[in-house]
Amino acid sequence: MHEVSIIENVIKIVLEKAIENKFTKVNKVSLKIGELSGVMPESLNFAFKSCTIETLLEGSTLEIERVSAMAECMDCNQVFPINHFNKLCPCCNKFCSSIISGYELYINTIEGD
Amino acid sequence: MSEIKVVTNILQTNDEITAKNKKLLDSKGIYVINLMSSPGSGKTSLLERIIAKLKSDINIAVIEGDIYTTKDAERIEAQGVPVVQINTGGACHLDGEMIKGALNSLPLDKIDLLVIENVGNLVCPAEFEIGEDIKIAVLSTTEGNDKPLKYPLMFEKSGAVILNKLDLIEFTDFDKEEFYRDIKSLNANADTFETSCVKNQGIDEICSWLMSNILNKKIMVK
Repeated sequence: MHEVSIIENVIKIVLEKAIENKFTKVNKVSLKIGELSGVMPESLNFAFKSCTIETLLEGSTLEIERVSAMAECMDCNQVFPINHFNKLCPCCNKFCSSIISGYELYINTIEGD
Repeated sequence: MSEIKVVTNILQTNDEITAKNKKLLDSKGIYVINLMSSPGSGKTSLLERIIAKLKSDINIAVIEGDIYTTKDAERIEAQGVPVVQINTGGACHLDGEMIKGALNSLPLDKIDLLVIENVGNLVCPAEFEIGEDIKIAVLSTTEGNDKPLKYPLMFEKSGAVILNKLDLIEFTDFDKEEFYRDIKSLNANADTFETSCVKNQGIDEICSWLMSNILNKKIMVK
Protein backbone atom coordinates (compact mmCIF):
# COMPACT_ATOMS: atom_id res chain seq x y z
CA MET A 1 0.00 0.00 0.00
CA HIS A 2 1.03 3.69 -0.17
CA GLU A 3 3.53 3.20 -2.94
CA VAL A 4 2.87 6.69 -4.33
CA SER A 5 3.38 8.43 -0.98
CA ILE A 6 6.48 6.31 -0.38
CA ILE A 7 7.88 7.39 -3.76
CA GLU A 8 7.02 11.03 -3.00
CA ASN A 9 9.11 10.72 0.19
CA VAL A 10 11.91 9.05 -1.80
CA ILE A 11 11.95 11.90 -4.34
CA LYS A 12 11.98 14.53 -1.58
CA ILE A 13 14.96 12.90 0.19
CA VAL A 14 16.86 12.22 -3.07
CA LEU A 15 16.38 15.82 -4.26
CA GLU A 16 17.77 17.13 -0.95
CA LYS A 17 20.82 14.84 -1.27
CA ALA A 18 21.28 15.66 -4.96
CA ILE A 19 21.30 19.41 -4.30
CA GLU A 20 23.66 18.91 -1.34
CA ASN A 21 26.07 17.05 -3.66
CA LYS A 22 25.58 19.52 -6.56
CA PHE A 23 24.16 16.88 -8.93
CA THR A 24 22.51 18.22 -12.07
CA LYS A 25 21.08 14.82 -12.88
CA VAL A 26 20.25 11.69 -10.87
CA ASN A 27 20.89 8.45 -12.79
CA LYS A 28 20.05 5.76 -10.29
CA VAL A 29 18.27 5.41 -6.96
CA SER A 30 18.76 2.22 -4.94
CA LEU A 31 16.24 1.22 -2.28
CA LYS A 32 16.26 -1.57 0.27
CA ILE A 33 12.79 -2.95 0.94
CA GLY A 34 12.14 -5.63 3.54
CA GLU A 35 10.05 -8.67 2.65
CA LEU A 36 7.66 -8.06 5.53
CA SER A 37 7.19 -4.32 4.86
CA GLY A 38 4.03 -4.80 2.79
CA VAL A 39 5.39 -2.74 -0.11
CA MET A 40 5.07 -3.97 -3.71
CA PRO A 41 8.16 -3.35 -5.92
CA GLU A 42 6.04 -3.34 -9.13
CA SER A 43 3.88 -0.51 -7.83
CA LEU A 44 6.96 1.39 -6.65
CA ASN A 45 8.39 1.24 -10.20
CA PHE A 46 5.16 2.55 -11.67
CA ALA A 47 4.88 5.37 -9.12
CA PHE A 48 8.57 6.26 -9.59
CA LYS A 49 8.18 6.62 -13.38
CA SER A 50 5.11 8.83 -12.99
CA CYS A 51 6.26 11.02 -10.11
CA THR A 52 9.82 11.75 -11.32
CA ILE A 53 8.68 13.49 -14.53
CA GLU A 54 10.14 17.02 -14.75
CA THR A 55 12.45 16.50 -11.76
CA LEU A 56 16.22 15.86 -11.56
CA LEU A 57 15.28 12.19 -11.31
CA GLU A 58 13.45 11.95 -14.63
CA GLY A 59 14.66 8.95 -16.63
CA SER A 60 16.70 7.53 -13.73
CA THR A 61 16.71 3.86 -12.82
CA LEU A 62 15.03 2.62 -9.66
CA GLU A 63 16.84 -0.34 -8.20
CA ILE A 64 15.02 -2.29 -5.49
CA GLU A 65 16.85 -4.75 -3.33
CA ARG A 66 14.58 -7.02 -1.32
CA VAL A 67 15.86 -7.67 2.19
CA SER A 68 15.00 -11.13 3.45
CA ALA A 69 13.27 -11.50 6.78
CA MET A 70 15.54 -12.97 9.44
CA ALA A 71 15.19 -13.56 13.15
CA GLU A 72 17.49 -14.47 15.97
CA CYS A 73 16.73 -16.91 18.73
CA MET A 74 17.83 -15.55 22.11
CA ASP A 75 18.03 -19.06 23.55
CA CYS A 76 20.40 -20.70 21.07
CA ASN A 77 21.67 -17.65 19.11
CA GLN A 78 20.58 -19.25 15.84
CA VAL A 79 19.86 -16.76 13.02
CA PHE A 80 17.16 -18.11 10.70
CA PRO A 81 14.82 -17.02 7.88
CA ILE A 82 11.20 -16.25 8.80
CA ASN A 83 8.00 -15.24 7.06
CA HIS A 84 4.70 -13.83 8.31
CA PHE A 85 3.42 -17.30 9.13
CA ASN A 86 6.44 -19.11 10.49
CA LYS A 87 8.77 -17.57 13.01
CA LEU A 88 9.83 -20.67 14.91
CA CYS A 89 13.50 -21.33 15.62
CA PRO A 90 14.56 -24.43 13.63
CA CYS A 91 16.73 -25.56 16.55
CA CYS A 92 14.55 -25.19 19.62
CA ASN A 93 11.14 -24.64 17.98
CA LYS A 94 10.50 -21.52 20.09
CA PHE A 95 8.83 -18.39 18.70
CA CYS A 96 11.56 -15.99 17.60
CA SER A 97 12.44 -13.43 20.24
CA SER A 98 14.05 -10.89 17.93
CA ILE A 99 13.30 -10.02 14.30
CA ILE A 100 16.54 -8.60 12.87
CA SER A 101 15.49 -7.78 9.32
CA GLY A 102 12.48 -7.72 7.01
CA TYR A 103 10.77 -4.39 7.79
CA GLU A 104 13.35 -2.19 5.99
CA LEU A 105 12.15 0.75 3.96
CA TYR A 106 15.13 2.90 3.12
CA ILE A 107 17.14 4.63 0.41
CA ASN A 108 20.57 3.03 0.20
CA THR A 109 22.51 4.94 -2.48
CA ILE A 110 22.00 7.41 -5.31
CA GLU A 111 24.11 7.94 -8.43
CA GLY A 112 24.30 11.18 -10.36
CA ASP A 113 26.40 13.68 -12.31
CA MET B 1 29.17 10.08 -12.31
CA SER B 2 29.40 9.52 -8.59
CA GLU B 3 27.60 7.36 -6.11
CA ILE B 4 26.64 8.60 -2.67
CA LYS B 5 25.58 6.56 0.29
CA VAL B 6 22.26 7.85 1.62
CA VAL B 7 20.96 5.16 4.01
CA THR B 8 17.88 7.16 5.00
CA ASN B 9 14.57 5.77 6.17
CA ILE B 10 11.93 6.61 3.57
CA LEU B 11 9.35 7.33 6.28
CA GLN B 12 11.81 9.43 8.30
CA THR B 13 9.47 12.44 8.46
CA ASN B 14 6.73 10.36 10.10
CA ASP B 15 9.22 8.56 12.32
CA GLU B 16 10.74 11.83 13.55
CA ILE B 17 7.37 13.37 14.40
CA THR B 18 6.24 10.12 16.01
CA ALA B 19 9.39 9.97 18.14
CA LYS B 20 8.65 13.49 19.42
CA ASN B 21 5.03 12.57 20.18
CA LYS B 22 6.19 9.46 22.02
CA LYS B 23 8.72 11.42 24.06
CA LEU B 24 6.04 13.89 25.11
CA LEU B 25 3.56 11.15 26.01
CA ASP B 26 6.23 9.19 27.90
CA SER B 27 7.22 12.27 29.89
CA LYS B 28 3.61 12.53 31.10
CA GLY B 29 3.47 8.80 31.91
CA ILE B 30 0.48 8.26 29.61
CA TYR B 31 -0.18 4.71 28.40
CA VAL B 32 -1.10 4.89 24.71
CA ILE B 33 -3.09 2.37 22.68
CA ASN B 34 -3.36 2.29 18.90
CA LEU B 35 -6.70 0.52 18.40
CA MET B 36 -7.12 -0.99 14.95
CA SER B 37 -9.62 -3.18 13.09
CA SER B 38 -11.89 -3.41 10.06
CA PRO B 39 -14.82 -1.00 9.90
CA GLY B 40 -17.67 -2.32 12.02
CA SER B 41 -15.83 -4.84 14.15
CA GLY B 42 -16.71 -2.97 17.34
CA LYS B 43 -13.77 -0.69 18.28
CA THR B 44 -16.03 2.15 19.44
CA SER B 45 -18.43 -0.18 21.29
CA LEU B 46 -15.50 -1.78 23.11
CA LEU B 47 -14.19 1.66 24.00
CA GLU B 48 -17.59 2.70 25.38
CA ARG B 49 -17.62 -0.38 27.62
CA ILE B 50 -14.02 0.09 28.76
CA ILE B 51 -14.50 3.80 29.50
CA ALA B 52 -17.70 3.13 31.46
CA LYS B 53 -15.84 0.59 33.59
CA LEU B 54 -12.60 2.54 34.14
CA LYS B 55 -13.49 6.22 34.17
CA SER B 56 -14.08 6.39 37.93
CA ASP B 57 -10.56 5.02 38.60
CA ILE B 58 -8.40 6.70 35.93
CA ASN B 59 -8.42 9.63 33.51
CA ILE B 60 -9.03 8.53 29.94
CA ALA B 61 -8.83 10.50 26.70
CA VAL B 62 -9.57 9.40 23.15
CA ILE B 63 -8.38 10.44 19.70
CA GLU B 64 -10.89 9.36 17.08
CA GLY B 65 -9.65 8.75 13.54
CA ASP B 66 -12.37 8.82 10.91
CA ILE B 67 -12.33 9.60 7.22
CA TYR B 68 -15.24 12.06 7.22
CA THR B 69 -17.66 11.96 10.18
CA THR B 70 -17.76 12.77 13.90
CA LYS B 71 -20.14 9.88 14.67
CA ASP B 72 -17.66 7.90 16.81
CA ALA B 73 -16.37 11.00 18.61
CA GLU B 74 -19.94 11.90 19.59
CA ARG B 75 -20.42 8.43 21.10
CA ILE B 76 -17.21 8.80 23.12
CA GLU B 77 -18.08 12.35 24.18
CA ALA B 78 -21.33 11.02 25.62
CA GLN B 79 -19.15 9.02 28.03
CA GLY B 80 -17.85 12.28 29.47
CA VAL B 81 -14.16 11.94 28.60
CA PRO B 82 -12.04 14.33 26.48
CA VAL B 83 -12.09 13.36 22.82
CA VAL B 84 -10.41 14.84 19.75
CA GLN B 85 -11.69 14.08 16.28
CA ILE B 86 -9.25 13.69 13.40
CA ASN B 87 -10.90 13.65 9.98
CA THR B 88 -8.37 12.31 7.52
CA GLY B 89 -10.40 13.55 4.54
CA GLY B 90 -9.88 10.37 2.56
CA ALA B 91 -6.64 9.00 4.00
CA CYS B 92 -6.93 5.42 5.19
CA HIS B 93 -4.77 5.66 8.33
CA LEU B 94 -3.52 8.07 11.01
CA ASP B 95 0.06 9.34 11.02
CA GLY B 96 2.42 11.18 13.36
CA GLU B 97 1.58 14.66 12.11
CA MET B 98 -2.16 14.17 12.73
CA ILE B 99 -1.51 12.88 16.25
CA LYS B 100 0.80 15.82 16.97
CA GLY B 101 -2.04 18.22 16.19
CA ALA B 102 -4.53 16.28 18.30
CA LEU B 103 -2.20 16.17 21.33
CA ASN B 104 -2.23 19.98 21.43
CA SER B 105 -5.95 19.86 22.23
CA LEU B 106 -5.73 17.35 25.10
CA PRO B 107 -5.08 18.02 28.83
CA LEU B 108 -1.95 15.82 28.85
CA ASP B 109 -1.17 16.47 32.52
CA LYS B 110 -4.45 14.87 33.49
CA ILE B 111 -4.45 11.70 31.38
CA ASP B 112 -3.51 8.14 32.40
CA LEU B 113 -4.77 6.30 29.33
CA LEU B 114 -4.94 7.63 25.78
CA VAL B 115 -6.75 5.48 23.24
CA ILE B 116 -6.19 6.32 19.59
CA GLU B 117 -8.94 4.73 17.54
CA ASN B 118 -7.47 4.35 14.08
CA VAL B 119 -9.41 4.49 10.80
CA GLY B 120 -11.31 1.23 10.23
CA ASN B 121 -8.99 -0.67 7.88
CA LEU B 122 -7.06 -3.93 8.26
CA VAL B 123 -4.15 -2.91 6.02
CA CYS B 124 -2.66 0.59 6.21
CA PRO B 125 -2.83 1.55 9.91
CA ALA B 126 -0.41 -1.29 10.70
CA GLU B 127 2.29 0.32 8.56
CA PHE B 128 2.51 3.62 10.46
CA GLU B 129 3.81 4.10 13.98
CA ILE B 130 1.98 6.91 15.77
CA GLY B 131 3.67 6.94 19.18
CA GLU B 132 1.75 4.12 20.85
CA ASP B 133 2.87 1.77 23.62
CA ILE B 134 0.83 -1.06 22.16
CA LYS B 135 -1.15 -1.87 19.03
CA ILE B 136 -4.39 -3.72 19.70
CA ALA B 137 -6.24 -5.44 16.87
CA VAL B 138 -9.95 -6.20 17.13
CA LEU B 139 -11.56 -8.89 14.99
CA SER B 140 -15.25 -9.76 15.16
CA THR B 141 -16.55 -13.29 14.73
CA THR B 142 -18.73 -12.27 11.77
CA GLU B 143 -15.65 -11.27 9.74
CA GLY B 144 -14.42 -14.86 9.65
CA ASN B 145 -11.40 -16.52 11.22
CA ASP B 146 -9.38 -16.34 7.99
CA LYS B 147 -8.58 -12.63 8.42
CA PRO B 148 -5.32 -12.85 10.44
CA LEU B 149 -3.61 -14.80 7.66
CA LYS B 150 -5.13 -12.59 4.95
CA TYR B 151 -3.95 -9.40 6.70
CA PRO B 152 -0.85 -10.67 8.52
CA LEU B 153 0.97 -7.39 9.21
CA MET B 154 -1.73 -6.00 11.50
CA PHE B 155 -1.93 -9.11 13.67
CA GLU B 156 1.84 -9.64 13.61
CA LYS B 157 2.45 -6.16 14.99
CA SER B 158 -0.32 -6.19 17.59
CA GLY B 159 0.59 -6.85 21.20
CA ALA B 160 -2.99 -7.90 21.92
CA VAL B 161 -5.86 -9.26 19.84
CA ILE B 162 -9.50 -8.99 20.88
CA LEU B 163 -12.08 -11.36 19.41
CA ASN B 164 -15.35 -9.40 19.58
CA LYS B 165 -19.04 -10.22 18.93
CA LEU B 166 -18.68 -13.53 20.69
CA ASP B 167 -22.47 -13.58 21.16
CA LEU B 168 -22.82 -14.05 17.37
CA ILE B 169 -20.31 -16.86 16.95
CA GLU B 170 -22.99 -19.57 16.88
CA PHE B 171 -24.46 -18.00 13.72
CA THR B 172 -21.12 -18.15 11.90
CA ASP B 173 -18.61 -20.82 10.91
CA PHE B 174 -15.85 -19.04 12.86
CA ASP B 175 -13.25 -21.65 13.87
CA LYS B 176 -11.69 -20.47 17.14
CA GLU B 177 -9.05 -23.20 17.21
CA GLU B 178 -7.78 -22.21 13.77
CA PHE B 179 -7.97 -18.52 14.72
CA TYR B 180 -5.75 -18.95 17.78
CA ARG B 181 -3.33 -21.17 15.86
CA ASP B 182 -2.99 -18.47 13.19
CA ILE B 183 -2.57 -15.67 15.73
CA LYS B 184 0.16 -17.65 17.49
CA SER B 185 1.97 -18.26 14.19
CA LEU B 186 1.99 -14.52 13.47
CA ASN B 187 2.84 -13.39 16.99
CA ALA B 188 3.12 -16.00 19.72
CA ASN B 189 3.52 -13.25 22.32
CA ALA B 190 0.19 -11.52 21.67
CA ASP B 191 -2.27 -11.42 24.57
CA THR B 192 -5.76 -12.50 23.51
CA PHE B 193 -9.23 -11.62 24.79
CA GLU B 194 -12.79 -12.60 23.92
CA THR B 195 -15.59 -10.06 24.25
CA SER B 196 -19.22 -9.36 23.58
CA CYS B 197 -20.15 -5.71 23.95
CA VAL B 198 -23.87 -6.49 23.75
CA LYS B 199 -23.62 -8.93 26.66
CA ASN B 200 -20.83 -7.01 28.43
CA GLN B 201 -18.65 -10.14 28.42
CA GLY B 202 -14.86 -10.10 28.72
CA ILE B 203 -14.69 -6.37 29.50
CA ASP B 204 -13.52 -6.93 33.10
CA GLU B 205 -10.57 -9.05 31.91
CA ILE B 206 -9.46 -6.40 29.42
CA CYS B 207 -9.84 -3.66 32.02
CA SER B 208 -7.72 -5.37 34.66
CA TRP B 209 -5.04 -6.17 32.04
CA LEU B 210 -5.11 -2.51 30.96
CA MET B 211 -4.86 -1.27 34.53
CA SER B 212 -1.69 -3.28 35.14
CA ASN B 213 -0.17 -1.94 31.87
CA ILE B 214 -1.06 1.63 32.84
CA LEU B 215 0.51 1.15 36.26
CA ASN B 216 3.66 -0.42 34.76
CA LYS B 217 4.09 2.55 32.46
CA LYS B 218 3.84 4.97 35.39
CA ILE B 219 6.43 2.98 37.36
CA MET B 220 8.72 2.77 34.30
CA VAL B 221 8.53 6.52 33.71
CA LYS B 222 9.33 7.34 37.35
